[in-house]
Amino acid sequence: MNKVDSASSGLAISGWAVTSPYGIGRSVFSEGLAAGRGTERAIEQGQGPAGTACLVPDFDSRAVLGKKGTRMMNRVTGMAVSTIGDLLRELGSDRLDPDTTGLVVGTTVGSAQSTIDFTRGSLTGERPFHVEPGLIPYAVMNGAAGQCAIWHGVKGPNATLAAGRSAGLLALNYARRLLLTRRAGTVLCGAAEEYSVARAWISEHSAGTDAPGAVLGEGCAMFALTADPTDEPPLATLLAVKATTCSDGDWYTTVRRCVEQATAAAGVRPSDVWMASPSGAAGPAGHAERAALGDLFDLGDRLVCVTELIGETHAASGALQLAAVLSLAEQNPESAELPAVVTSIDESGTVVACLVRLG
Amino acid sequence: MAVVTPDEKQLIKGIVCDILELEGDEIADDSLFVEDHDADSMRLIEILSSLELNLRVTIEQSELPRMVNLRGVYEVIGNITR
Repeated sequence: MNKVDSASSGLAISGWAVTSPYGIGRSVFSEGLAAGRGTERAIEQGQGPAGTACLVPDFDSRAVLGKKGTRMMNRVTGMAVSTIGDLLRELGSDRLDPDTTGLVVGTTVGSAQSTIDFTRGSLTGERPFHVEPGLIPYAVMNGAAGQCAIWHGVKGPNATLAAGRSAGLLALNYARRLLLTRRAGTVLCGAAEEYSVARAWISEHSAGTDAPGAVLGEGCAMFALTADPTDEPPLATLLAVKATTCSDGDWYTTVRRCVEQATAAAGVRPSDVWMASPSGAAGPAGHAERAALGDLFDLGDRLVCVTELIGETHAASGALQLAAVLSLAEQNPESAELPAVVTSIDESGTVVACLVRLG
Repeated sequence: MAVVTPDEKQLIKGIVCDILELEGDEIADDSLFVEDHDADSMRLIEILSSLELNLRVTIEQSELPRMVNLRGVYEVIGNITR
């Protein structure tokens, strides 16, 4: 049995890529964030029960990836394949060994739309087996991770992690364990979430009375995490990921304890923390999370909540928060060598804190 | 005797082209789905299933080995009692 030392010196984040409601790529993401520009727009009739959403503008899998192999590809897979492609280009994919490169994608249910479309086909068709078989690979939750590996020829461990809003940070933790146990040399990891009529419907009907329907967003952020030596200094170093469960509804105490565990494990002084990003979940739980971070760290306007700008991105939120922190750090050289904290909470009770040292 | 009307042929060709992501002029009656058009087993099942849905027929899976090109598909469809 391999033992994972959670207090080891950290793993290098050697690259990242993002597809967001600001558009495709890091530069539009950085510009939008720096300007604090919101992305909420009216959606077309029939696109969902709510009137507005934060969509990746003009994103179409076939337009972005070409017509070959994309006929049945759903939006979440298209975003993941495209974002991983951007990441590989940034890394210089010839420098990666496909056999030792892993892939970990965080999600909630994959594509709620594809799953429901498939089920609807079976229920409304002349025969229950008169379904569209092309939907099957995308109607299962690991469709995106599988397709990313097939498309880009990544042959290492391939994992899909379903954990709601915490999925992005838990994917990083899964990647971290793969690396520390030497199952992979580099892991491409992150999370993706699509906007769809089905997701909007589920979101509206499952929202509690204390947290009415948030404006939905979508997107994908992917990071390259490596245990191998890097030629250039890393953009950031992943120091610790701690996950715990809130079972008594006391989100403030649980978030606080989780973050304190992460900082203690990494030997980080709270006063050194340069930036923190809460999940921005709606309702009292989200307020408690934000309050805990505000009380732990003296940050002023460096307590950054991207949900206000790019919407509730559910499974992709943790990954997009980390992308936002890296992006803002890039624009602020004084952040170099300082730690930053990203937290996530999910209705299911999961609380995750992720600690990085900025490049 | 196999009977497939020109309209049905057109419909079948359209379905096959859509699934194999080909333009109409890229496929011939005797060009092979797998060898010439990079189809995999998933695509072949998609073709079978889509034909069933659109032509309202049931195709036995045992017919798959004959459905290697458009000519084979026309024969299989033509032989189904409708």
